[in-house]
Amino acid sequence: MSNFFGLLQNENMKIYRRSSAKVMIIILLGLILAAGLIIKYSVDQPKNDPNWKQTLTQENKNLEKQMASVKGNKQAVDYYKKSIAINEYRIDHNLKPHRGESIWDFVQDAAANMVMVISIFTIIVVSTSIASEFDTGTIKLLLIRPIYRTEILLSKYISALLFTVVCLIALFLASWLIGGILFGFSGAGDAYLGYADGAVYQSSWMLEVWKGYLLNCVSLFMMVTFAGLIAAAFRNGGLAIGLSIFTMMASSIVIQLLQKFDWVKYVLFANTDLTQYTTGTPLREEMTLGFSLTVLAVYYAIFVLVGWAFYTRRDIKA
Amino acid sequence: MSNNAAAEKPAVRLEHVTKRIGRKTIIDDLSFDIYGGEVFGFLGPNGAGKTTTIRMIVGLMRMSKGNIYIQGHSIKGEFKKAISQVGAIVENPEMYKFLTGYQNLVHYARMIPGITKARIMEVVELVELQDRIHEKVKRYSLGMRQRLGVAQALLHHPSVLILDEPTNGLDPQGIHDLRNYLHELSRKENVAIIVSSHLLSEMQLMCDRIGILQKGRLIGVEAVDAFIEKGAAKVRIQVDDGRLAAQAVGEKLSIDSKLIDETTIELPIEHEKIPVVVDTLVMSKIRIYGVAAVTKSLEDRFLEVTGGKSVE
Repeated sequence: MSNFFGLLQNENMKIYRRSSAKVMIIILLGLILAAGLIIKYSVDQPKNDPNWKQTLTQENKNLEKQMASVKGNKQAVDYYKKSIAINEYRIDHNLKPHRGESIWDFVQDAAANMVMVISIFTIIVVSTSIASEFDTGTIKLLLIRPIYRTEILLSKYISALLFTVVCLIALFLASWLIGGILFGFSGAGDAYLGYADGAVYQSSWMLEVWKGYLLNCVSLFMMVTFAGLIAAAFRNGGLAIGLSIFTMMASSIVIQLLQKFDWVKYVLFANTDLTQYTTGTPLREEMTLGFSLTVLAVYYAIFVLVGWAFYTRRDIKA
Repeated sequence: MSNNAAAEKPAVRLEHVTKRIGRKTIIDDLSFDIYGGEVFGFLGPNGAGKTTTIRMIVGLMRMSKGNIYIQGHSIKGEFKKAISQVGAIVENPEMYKFLTGYQNLVHYARMIPGITKARIMEVVELVELQDRIHEKVKRYSLGMRQRLGVAQALLHHPSVLILDEPTNGLDPQGIHDLRNYLHELSRKENVAIIVSSHLLSEMQLMCDRIGILQKGRLIGVEAVDAFIEKGAAKVRIQVDDGRLAAQAVGEKLSIDSKLIDETTIELPIEHEKIPVVVDTLVMSKIRIYGVAAVTKSLEDRFLEVTGGKSVE
């Protein structure tokens, strides 16, 4: 593995020297800018409120009334409790809320949707990286070096995941900058207020945003691995891209439809959204974080083993 | 250079190599040795299994049976050690078109320890690509791609060089240069060179020995010169009347001749017999305008051996 770093350099070169990589980064930045402009000009940004403490107190009274009217609906009650607790915390600790969209709101709004876009891009990158060499015939000159096929495949997989990291950093920096330019950098120093186990806690926005990225990346990670498996097994990039993106898109609908069956918990996509445990609303009540992590690990192991076996064993006829 | 000492140990050894795909036997029990310092030609009609054999030598395809050793290392058991000795082009030299020629070479150089920038520039100059090496490969001509392919194969000073159809796309000057360079590599650096080509005339000039493959079987490994000479010699004689001449040699010497046209006959005879035939013809009052030995080309011999099947 002494020259594994060289292999990563090679794969990175092949990813970023393709024009498609540049197009992807431009699309990513374009979408963030478009989202920012839409929020800026379609949603009215309220004026600063000097009497914000009174406003919040009034808001809490309204919220309590509403909470009383939805008694029995645990999810709704939890939501109101959280809002009231955070408002009280702001009044007690003299933390003025940001009116309208703040820089950090925007960074967080961009997170979930943009990670989805990054998923699609990384699926394209990993599928192209693994399968295209069979189409172009370059695989022959690639595999007649003193390197095992396992190492080649691993370098392709890791460099695709590094592409995700590059995209996430670009996403963070771009949404922070665009958010700041459009909505002002004044909110950049705000603290993040979270609510867990009946108490409000203070945290850094930066940390929360990256936590959100990581949770969203669970699905990305699994689908990119799945795309890699299809690309390695069938040596067909189009199939790998199409199948992975279709499965990813269809998954949430299918899971909703199957929710009433108890075996749905063994389906991959019932477990990719780990936020169901942070919000306390798992798909099925018997599911736990440990259960989901186990299911994910089993699927992951199967994807990796099957993809590896096909890639390293099949004859090269390209 | 002790060619003889090296010749005792084969650079590439094939032992009962068999490849089956499904029920079909693509390669059937192939065994032969290739030595350092020689240029070995792989000859055979399309579909005979040349490329499959090359793919098994470089480990792109698995053998169903048998083994291949490169400098004593099994391609199956000691892949890294075996393949380190090999530089190759398998079929077309397919490179990354969106990268420059230089980036392509850097890519391959990173996969083998100890290749310096100086070495990369050395092979670039060797294949005379220095003026265009920083251009993207998509703008290269077929001949330039072929030269870049040769460059990547030579990067790590391989002791076994495998070139599938190396003259493809090269102009006559390029072919001439490549041929000279391959001869130099084999003679001076004792490299074992395996080429396959459908250009038989090329093979004749380039190879020391050839192996003929047909339907997955080796039907002969021979030195090129011996291979060509084995077919009986032929002599063409120009006369005033071909028919009469053919009759004369048939009756008096009982040699079956072939009438090429009205005034030319072709005789399957050895060199020493020419005067006897000429005497006979003169005595039969046939006028002779010319006598010429017909040298057989590798192509003729090849068609003879493979049963007249076209190479293409």
